[in-house]
Amino acid sequence: MKEKIIFQKSQKGRFTDYVTNPQISIFPPSHFIPQKLLREDLNLPSLGEGEVVRHYTNLSRLNYCVDTNFYPLGSCTMKYNPKVNEDLANLEEFLHIHPYQKEEDIQGTLELLYNLEKLLCEITGMERFSFQPSAGAHGELTGMLIVKAFHSLKREKRFKVIIPDSSHGTNPATASMCGYQVVVVESTKEGLVDIDKLRKLMDSSTAGIMLTCPNTLGIFEEKILDIREIVHRQGGLLYYDGANFNALLGITKPSLMGFDIVHLNLHKTFSTPHGSGGPGAGAVGVRKDLVPFLPVPLVDKKNDYYYLNYDLKHSIGKVRSFYGNFPVLVKTYAYLLRLGKEGLVRVAHNSVLNANYIREKLRDNYQLASSKRCMHEVVFSCKDKKEEYGVTALDIAKRLLDYGIHPPTMYFPLVVKEALMIEPTETESKETLDYFIEVMKRIDQEAKTKPSILKDAPHTTFTKRVDEVSAARNPVLKWEESGE
Amino acid sequence: MPYILNTPSQIKEMLEVVGLHSLEELFSHLPPSVRIKGHLSLPSGLSEEELIRVVKRLAKKNKSLSNFNSFLGGGIYPHYIPSPLNHLIGRAEFYTAYTPYQAEASQGILQAIFEYQTYICLLTGMEVSNASLYDGATSLAEAVLMSLRIKKRSKVLVCESIHPEYRATLRTYLKGSDFLVEEIKFNRYGFLDLDILKEKIDDEVACLCIQSPNFFGLIEDLESISEVVKGKEILVILVTNPVSLAILKEPAKLGVDIVCGEGQILGRACAWGGETFGWLATKRDYLRQLPGRIVGKTIDREGKESFCLTLQTREQHIRREKATSNICSNHSLNAIAGAIYLSLLGKEGLKKVALYSLNLAHYLYQCLQDIKEIKLVFPSSFFNEFVWQVNDSYQVWEVLYRKNIIPGLILEKFYPQLKDCILSSCTEIKTKEEIDDFVRCLKEVIR
Repeated sequence: MKEKIIFQKSQKGRFTDYVTNPQISIFPPSHFIPQKLLREDLNLPSLGEGEVVRHYTNLSRLNYCVDTNFYPLGSCTMKYNPKVNEDLANLEEFLHIHPYQKEEDIQGTLELLYNLEKLLCEITGMERFSFQPSAGAHGELTGMLIVKAFHSLKREKRFKVIIPDSSHGTNPATASMCGYQVVVVESTKEGLVDIDKLRKLMDSSTAGIMLTCPNTLGIFEEKILDIREIVHRQGGLLYYDGANFNALLGITKPSLMGFDIVHLNLHKTFSTPHGSGGPGAGAVGVRKDLVPFLPVPLVDKKNDYYYLNYDLKHSIGKVRSFYGNFPVLVKTYAYLLRLGKEGLVRVAHNSVLNANYIREKLRDNYQLASSKRCMHEVVFSCKDKKEEYGVTALDIAKRLLDYGIHPPTMYFPLVVKEALMIEPTETESKETLDYFIEVMKRIDQEAKTKPSILKDAPHTTFTKRVDEVSAARNPVLKWEESGE
Repeated sequence: MPYILNTPSQIKEMLEVVGLHSLEELFSHLPPSVRIKGHLSLPSGLSEEELIRVVKRLAKKNKSLSNFNSFLGGGIYPHYIPSPLNHLIGRAEFYTAYTPYQAEASQGILQAIFEYQTYICLLTGMEVSNASLYDGATSLAEAVLMSLRIKKRSKVLVCESIHPEYRATLRTYLKGSDFLVEEIKFNRYGFLDLDILKEKIDDEVACLCIQSPNFFGLIEDLESISEVVKGKEILVILVTNPVSLAILKEPAKLGVDIVCGEGQILGRACAWGGETFGWLATKRDYLRQLPGRIVGKTIDREGKESFCLTLQTREQHIRREKATSNICSNHSLNAIAGAIYLSLLGKEGLKKVALYSLNLAHYLYQCLQDIKEIKLVFPSSFFNEFVWQVNDSYQVWEVLYRKNIIPGLILEKFYPQLKDCILSSCTEIKTKEEIDDFVRCLKEVIR
């Protein structure tokens, strides 16, 4: 049933009574603050605990999530989020810590970060990590500001950044926030960076390249060593967008591929949950000579005492308040300890196997975006279906909901027309993949025989296809009392 | 192997389908020189029980706030969190879902965020709110970038009494461009110096950033400040404490254009400053310049009220280098927690939280007033924290700390001019006994 807006449930006179009465005389605000700066009324609802609990419980039941449904959202790595990680992140000794407590009060927190950093350095080949960035895009901003600071220190005027046309939107948006001009390098028809074009674009006024590997078509950049050579020879830096690192855990390291700066999406590769859109964490690692540019502070150790080190010569400063999303970091640490070195390789093996299995089983029904073997995700194009039956990637995605499957990423990467980007992750079983494959084949049949069933999908969800166009045309962005 | 479901025989079967003989072959096209030889140099995996033991051993090395009578504030505040909140946030349908791209499979998240946006508008008096940013510091930085786009000017005025870490973050965010940041000193009473402000205003100023209650807890006279910038085409950006808005006038009514701040205060743990969300609200005129996700109301095919992400042409996945921000993931779950907190407390509850925090902080202030060795540095029009001074502050602080009292934040690190000054904060969870005990111990230490 449709859940009313919470403000419609308010009853004058109803209250919850959570707040303790202090044993002192209480004066009204006007006793302390000039009247002209005080508000007349606070128009929040008055609710009871039971109905608030029911409201949000009922809202939660309207969502698909990893715990309830297969969620093959490409580039998002919707793997299982281990429960024990939640327990550990919520330990009172971690949670009830004020950011301005003394270092001696937080030795456990600092030791955990110190250990976690060592693990991530080994996994990526980077020298040091900052945990301040709070999301992938935030990591990109941090990394590209380091690129900028690095070149400025050498008094080099570099104003361009090269980005493949298959990149995540955050890459060009980040480069632009850092004051760079974005230069797009086109992909080959196989979806790889066009090396000849890159060679022509790369020059001494280019700060570097931002690259995702495997790229957003799920393909490993086989010419990565040539890319490194081209960019480094002109004095540029290679930035690794770690969104797709899941495929390569324990197989290769960004350092071996030639990357100088890395961000890791801890909420993708390292199993921390996505929280309806966040918080995640975008830890940033750098090679040795870039360490002095990292945000302050870093965690260091002296005589078995852990401390916050603010002494970084060329630090770009702070990218947020305090130290980062610590609970997310606890979950990452727990995940790494639980899996260990053998477990990490199996993540790569099974995530790549699962994607290739889907690729192989569906390639006769859906057009592959690249003939190259895929890694952790596979991209299909529904261009032919649109032309032949008038059925779009969106229609197919919505029809999947009728079969209890969360749709893949749609219309991305932009270089693939009518794209469906499918990332099963390693935590899904063959049985689930077989069900998905069967459903996708059935939908392919439906596209041919009764396309209207796709056009009108979803049929089984409580909310039918929503009108996104009129939402944008006439934006209603908050609840209004007057008859809304 | 934890968390992997494929059995060895299934793996074999799947490899056959793919046409390969081993898992290793999946990576045979990688250049040999990039491959890791053997295993990573990491420990082997632990059982769940061992894992818990190892991590708990680390946790035990911490001394949490529960061990102290703490008066720490300065941007992160320990308020009481009603029990249902974490149960609701702990529902997998919220915490293991992704950004609600697929509206039909995410109506609950979307409605919760729509209600969140409404709450932020109700508190601030503004017309539009986004769906959250990372924290208070980055929300200020994004607000400033907004104002620079709107006004197409080059200068930013920033009060020195804004949280030092927010100012540091803002400086970092502006490193990518040539914009000029000028700081405005606070006067001897701890407020924005209006005379300096008047001098600094010129045709290149895009915005004035101010915090109220400011970092010293003082409530700035926003009305007078707005008067000064009126007619100068300068946007006023306010950083504020959302709990203080239960009693303070809506910023929208005081000439503020963009209001933003830290969301931890609304029902999230202190978590070493790691359970934050940034909130940001503004006037409808500036809607197209808002950064981040926004949820809008619409209808579905059957005409039923429903919700979806909207105005996405501002965002990076569509506009790429022309987007209003690079933000993609935000801090949605913490923002939903904020909405649940406001729902649980309701109108009367939130007012009480604000009123009791205010009164308890002023009770402490009164107690300190009676100690002649202590100087109350600024006037008393503060919300939930204030600055006091004592000789040999570091030593006094340390002696109290050994008695398990944390008197507050020593300000000298951030403000060298505030020598021997301490910022002390109270929220509604402070008791009279705790305050009296602090004051008694403080007297003993000084005398």
